[in-house]
Amino acid sequence: MKHPYQITVTDKSGDHLFVSVKNHLYAFNLKTGAVVGSWVDTVDISVPLKKQQEDKIKVLEQEALKKDSNEDEESASKKLKNANGIKIPKIPVPGPGAPPIYNYVRSLTLSNNGRYLIGTTDSDKAAVIFNVDFSEENCLKLMKRQIFPKRPCAVSTSADDSTLIVADKFGDVYSIPIDTSEPVDEKSLVPILGHVSMLSDVLVAQHNNKQFILTGDRDEHIRITNYPRTYVVKNWLFGHREFVSNLHIPSFDPSILISGGGDDYLAIWKWHENKLLSKVQLRDLIQPFLNDSHLPPERFLKDDSPKEISIVKILTYANPKSNEKLLVVLCENTNCILTFKLDENEFSATHKQTFETKYPLIDITLYQDTILATLDIESEDNLIELYNFDVDSVLNDSSKENLSLINSISLANNCDVESRKDFYPLYYINSLRKRSEH
Amino acid sequence: RAHSNPFSDHRLEYPRSPDSMDWSKFYPKHFDSEQGQMNKKVEIADIGCGYGGLLINLAKEFPQLLCLGMEIRVQVTQYVEDRIIALREKYAKDKISNYQNIAVLRGNAMKFLPNFFEKGQLLKMFFCFPDPHFKQRKHKARIITNTLLSEYAYVLKEGGVVYTITDVEDLHNWMVQHLNDHPLFKRLDENWEKQDKCVELMWNSTEEGQKVTRNKGSKWIACYERLPTPEDCD
Repeated sequence: MKHPYQITVTDKSGDHLFVSVKNHLYAFNLKTGAVVGSWVDTVDISVPLKKQQEDKIKVLEQEALKKDSNEDEESASKKLKNANGIKIPKIPVPGPGAPPIYNYVRSLTLSNNGRYLIGTTDSDKAAVIFNVDFSEENCLKLMKRQIFPKRPCAVSTSADDSTLIVADKFGDVYSIPIDTSEPVDEKSLVPILGHVSMLSDVLVAQHNNKQFILTGDRDEHIRITNYPRTYVVKNWLFGHREFVSNLHIPSFDPSILISGGGDDYLAIWKWHENKLLSKVQLRDLIQPFLNDSHLPPERFLKDDSPKEISIVKILTYANPKSNEKLLVVLCENTNCILTFKLDENEFSATHKQTFETKYPLIDITLYQDTILATLDIESEDNLIELYNFDVDSVLNDSSKENLSLINSISLANNCDVESRKDFYPLYYINSLRKRSEH
Repeated sequence: RAHSNPFSDHRLEYPRSPDSMDWSKFYPKHFDSEQGQMNKKVEIADIGCGYGGLLINLAKEFPQLLCLGMEIRVQVTQYVEDRIIALREKYAKDKISNYQNIAVLRGNAMKFLPNFFEKGQLLKMFFCFPDPHFKQRKHKARIITNTLLSEYAYVLKEGGVVYTITDVEDLHNWMVQHLNDHPLFKRLDENWEKQDKCVELMWNSTEEGQKVTRNKGSKWIACYERLPTPEDCD
C-alpha cells in the first residue's frame, strides 16, 4: 500500500495538480493524469543538529583563539580535540520528551501567477521555491532553498509574486525575494512582523491596490498589517475563541475573509472594515461525523468534554452557470464535506449540503467545477476522489467516471508503506488547541 | 517566583476584545451606572508594574487619568492589588487623590495587549526594569523587540510616549537600538527628560529603582515619542 497523499493544490486554470506525500512532491496533468514533475527532499533530518554543532565549534574555536594568546597549553587534554585544540562538542541529541521531526512538506502554496510552487520543510526549517515550467520534462525546478531560524508553517506571496512572505512557529513573519539569488544566512534574517504566538496561516490581501498581510495564530488572533510598511498594524479581527488555522479570501470578492480553526463556527469578515459579518455554525452539522479521536487527549479528558472541531480547509466556489456562491468546509478527520450557500448581500451562509464520503478526507482542493480530495485510505490505486458540482451546485461523486485519472495519480506515488502504522501523522491541526495547565 | 515565561499558555483572563472588557470592577468609581458604561478609558499603562511603586505615584500625579499596571506574576499582582485596596480605604475621603484611578491586572502584555486597548488609546506606556533575558536565544522574550514595538505603536496615540528604564546597560542599548530603528518612534532628548515629571517618578519611585540606588548602581533612561502614522497606510 501507499502512503496517503497529504497536501493538494491545483492551479487557476485547473489543468495541473500538485500534491505532497511525506518528503515527495508530484505535479500532474489533470487531463491525462500524467506525471509532469516530481521532487524529493533529500535533506537529512539531522542537518539542523549538525549545523548547531558546527556553530558551537565555531564559537569554541574563537574562544580558544582568544585564550591561546593569553595562556599556553597548560592542559594537554585527554579529550578529543581538533586541529585548533578545542574539545569537539557532540551532535545534540533530542531528549526523550522531544517531539519527533518528520521529513515532510508541511505546507504547499502556489504563487498568484502560478509560476512558483512554494513548500516548507520540517527537516531543515526551509522554504523551497520551485520554478514551475511545463515545457520542461520535470516542471518542478528548485530555484531556492531558504532556511529559517524557526520552522516555517505557512507562506503567501506578494501581489506581484516578487516576494515570499513566510510565517513561522515562533510567531515571526519574514520576507525573502522570489528569484534565483543565493539564500541568506538565516541568522541575518529580521522579521517584518511578529506575534508572540505560533502562526498558523498567512495571506497577502489587497484593498484599493494597497497590500496587507493577514496572519492567524494559536491565540485566536487575526492581525491585519500594512505591507510593505509592516510596522503599521491596521487592526486585529476579534471573534475567535480558539486557535485560527485557516484564512480564505474568495476570488470573487477580495473584500471578504473567511476564517476558521478550533471554534464551532467559521467567521465571515469584511476584513478591511474590521467588521464581523456573520458566523457559520458547524457543530450540529458535523457532530454525527465526529468520533472518539476528536476527544481531547486523555490527560485533559473530562466526562463532559465535547468532541472537538478543527478546520482543515475553507474554499469558495462560484458556479459559472447559476452564479451561485458556495462555501466549502472540511473539518479534520471527518468523512464529509459541508457546503453552504453564500448570500452576497448579507454575507451570511445557509447550509446546502452535507456530502458524505466513504473515507476520512485529508485535504481538498477545487479546480473548475470539481473538488479533488486526498483520502485517508489503505490503498494502492485509489488515493484520491473527485466530486463534481452539478448545475444546481450540488456535489456528486464523479470518481467512477474518472477512474483512470485517479489510478494514474495514485500509482505515481512512490511512498510505499507496510501498514497504517507507517503513516506520518495525517491530522495535527487539533494539536494547536491550547490546554493550559498553569 | 521572579520570572514567568511569556510564551506559555498561562491560564490568563483576558477580554475577547477591548469592547468586551469590563473595566468597572477595576475602577468602580469611574463607572457610570446610569449610562452603564465607564466615563473614562485607561490612558496610562505600566507594563510589568512589579510591586506598583510607580503606579501609586502616577495616581497622585495624574488624578484625572486612569492608570493600569499589568503584571504577569500572580503573587506580585495580588500584592499590588492589596496595596491599592488599602490606599483606597485610607484616602477614601480625599476628593482628588483617592487612588480610584489606578488598578492592576494579571496579564501577558506581550500576547494580549490589543485585547485590552484600542488603537491609539494610550498616552503613556512604561517599561521599568524589564527582565533583561541575557542569553542571546532568549532575546525574543524581551519586552522591547522590533515586532512588539509595532503593537505598542498601535495602542499608543500619536504623540504618546514610551518610557524605558533599566539598570542593565546592554539591555538599555538594545532597547535604544530597537526603538531608534522603528519608524514610528523618535527619541526625546535630555532637555525633555529633565522637564518631564514621569521621568523623575520612574527614576525614584519603583521598588527596583530604589534597590539600584541603594546598591549604588547605574540607571539608564530612554523615552520615545510615537510619531504619526504615515498617510495612506489604511
